[in-house]
Amino acid sequence: MISPRMLALIGEWMPQLIEAAGYTLKMTVLAYMLGAVIGLALALGGMARQRWIVICCRGYIEFVRGTPTLTQLFLVYFGLTSFGIALPSFEAAVVTLGLHYAAYMAEIYRSGISSVHGGQQEAAQAIGMTRGEAMRYIILPQSLRVILPPMANSAISLLKDTSVASLISAPEIMLRANDLASQYYMPMQLYLITGAMYFVLAYPLSLGVRYLEWLTSRGHRSTIAGPAAG
Amino acid sequence: MTDWARTYENLPYFLDALLTGAVMTAIVTAGGFIVSVLLGLVLAGCKTSRSRLLRTFAYIYVEIFRAVPVLTQLFVIYFGLGSIGIKLDPIPAAIIGFGLNGGAYLTEVFRAGIAAIDRGQSEAAIAIGMTRGMALRTIILPQTVRVVLPPIANFAIGLLKDTSLASAVAAPELSFQAHMLADRTFLTTQIYLLVALFYLAMSVPLSWLSRRLERRASRGVRA
Repeated sequence: MISPRMLALIGEWMPQLIEAAGYTLKMTVLAYMLGAVIGLALALGGMARQRWIVICCRGYIEFVRGTPTLTQLFLVYFGLTSFGIALPSFEAAVVTLGLHYAAYMAEIYRSGISSVHGGQQEAAQAIGMTRGEAMRYIILPQSLRVILPPMANSAISLLKDTSVASLISAPEIMLRANDLASQYYMPMQLYLITGAMYFVLAYPLSLGVRYLEWLTSRGHRSTIAGPAAG
Repeated sequence: MTDWARTYENLPYFLDALLTGAVMTAIVTAGGFIVSVLLGLVLAGCKTSRSRLLRTFAYIYVEIFRAVPVLTQLFVIYFGLGSIGIKLDPIPAAIIGFGLNGGAYLTEVFRAGIAAIDRGQSEAAIAIGMTRGMALRTIILPQTVRVVLPPIANFAIGLLKDTSLASAVAAPELSFQAHMLADRTFLTTQIYLLVALFYLAMSVPLSWLSRRLERRASRGVRA
């Protein structure tokens, strides 16, 4: 399979695929930031004292977690046009993936916050902090140990999920691979190279997450190790 | 006539097409799940085996399949294998693709489950004359069920949603039927909302079941 001709072809493909990988990374970073912010808002909303806020946040989380990313992507990209909102494919992918991951991240924040002993909250309020202050200065910093590893895992999942954006023709690795595959009719070689590129991006990240997990579990009794989120 | 009125008028037709797709989605999910569980068990066996070769093989397999998007894997299996003379139909290709991918995830779940059982159990089993295989099958695995059940149920829910990607290799499941309807009627918002309801109708009972299993499985055991 590795003939001089093949090497020449790979030399033709790589610059294009690497350029597309830049879009994949950009999409991942933007969607991650969107998800992290909205996710925190959803998690805090889910603990609000106003019932309707809690119901809205929980309902949103259940809806997003119960439906495929692909369906949400089509709702945002094609569906919103009937309300006069036409997003370009890249932006639609960022918004969808951000909103999708927000629901998962909200659950991560929630489990992190609830891992902090209730006495901390009571003590903070006993010395005169408001609920918001207690959350900001006492609860959230302590919950980081539980929150960080799964949040880092989400980044890996998100990186892989950006491949779905190719189905609405958003520019990223998978779309470029599809174009090249139909241009050269060498799907096997192209998709294997594409897979290798994702591996090169995701594997160091996953080693980093494992190191982070080891780091954050030091000095604490081991909690039940949850499996990596899909 | 508004789009919503048009949707309402054609609703029986839409529901009929989507229901056919939902059955296919269930088949792909079930098929992929069975392949994943079997492969996960075998690979977890490899990972805990004494043979260095088997351990290395399982490690490489799991790392590769977990670091590459399932969409890419589906395309390798459907378009890639197709181009070198191994032509699979969309449904079997999807089942194999999701199975190979899911097997890698479940390997870690099963391995963690086996690791959660006290070593003394397998030592005791070997002390009374069991082989390693017998000990694993009759002593260790039954006890791991409690640990692995919740993540397996979560995996099944994730798999159900991921099967929507099979529409990209033209497997006639729920999302594919939806694309066809949307292309024909241009009622994209309405159709994809209906599809979302279909997926919810399948995933919400599953997640309810998984919470129940989790409670049942942890009865009488300190967390």
